[in-house]
Amino acid sequence: MNDVLMAVCDVASAVLMLSGSLLAVISSIGIHRLGSTRARMHATTKPATLGVLLCGVGALVQFADVSDIAKVLVVVILQLVGAPIGSHMLGRAVGGK
Amino acid sequence: MKLVVTICLVMLVIAGALGVARIVRRSTLGDRAVAFDMLTSVLTCALLVSAGYLQDGLLLDLAIVLGLLGFIASVTIARFIEARNGTES
Repeated sequence: MNDVLMAVCDVASAVLMLSGSLLAVISSIGIHRLGSTRARMHATTKPATLGVLLCGVGALVQFADVSDIAKVLVVVILQLVGAPIGSHMLGRAVGGK
Repeated sequence: MKLVVTICLVMLVIAGALGVARIVRRSTLGDRAVAFDMLTSVLTCALLVSAGYLQDGLLLDLAIVLGLLGFIASVTIARFIEARNGTES
């Protein structure tokens, strides 16, 4: 039973980590191909929240210790709160072009 | 699991290299700030993936610090750009 649970956890974390990394690669391609600064910001802000969330949850299911799980949650929540605020300020500073 | 983590880290290294190329290439300050923002999130992803594979809680502390640092850096650069544009016009 425990082996089955561990296998399920491994598969879930593999899928989550791979999708998060794929999102990061797509955003780094978009940062080169898109035209204006705001369009590039559109490419980078999705992995800043969703990619970190996916990688974080993928790492979360690997940990057994409660303190490690709490740290992962702190990282993910910090990113979910901080990244949109930073991107919003940056977008306002860059201006409508 | 080792293969999956290797693939993930290779993809994240490619993403980071493309971001660094964007910063080094001649571009405006706003573009560089956007690329830097992406670079910190890619590094956070890499730290989380490594921490999950190695079962190492120390890397998670680094990820917390990096997330805070990236947020403060992007806010500071945004305020700097705003202040500079304000004095020019």
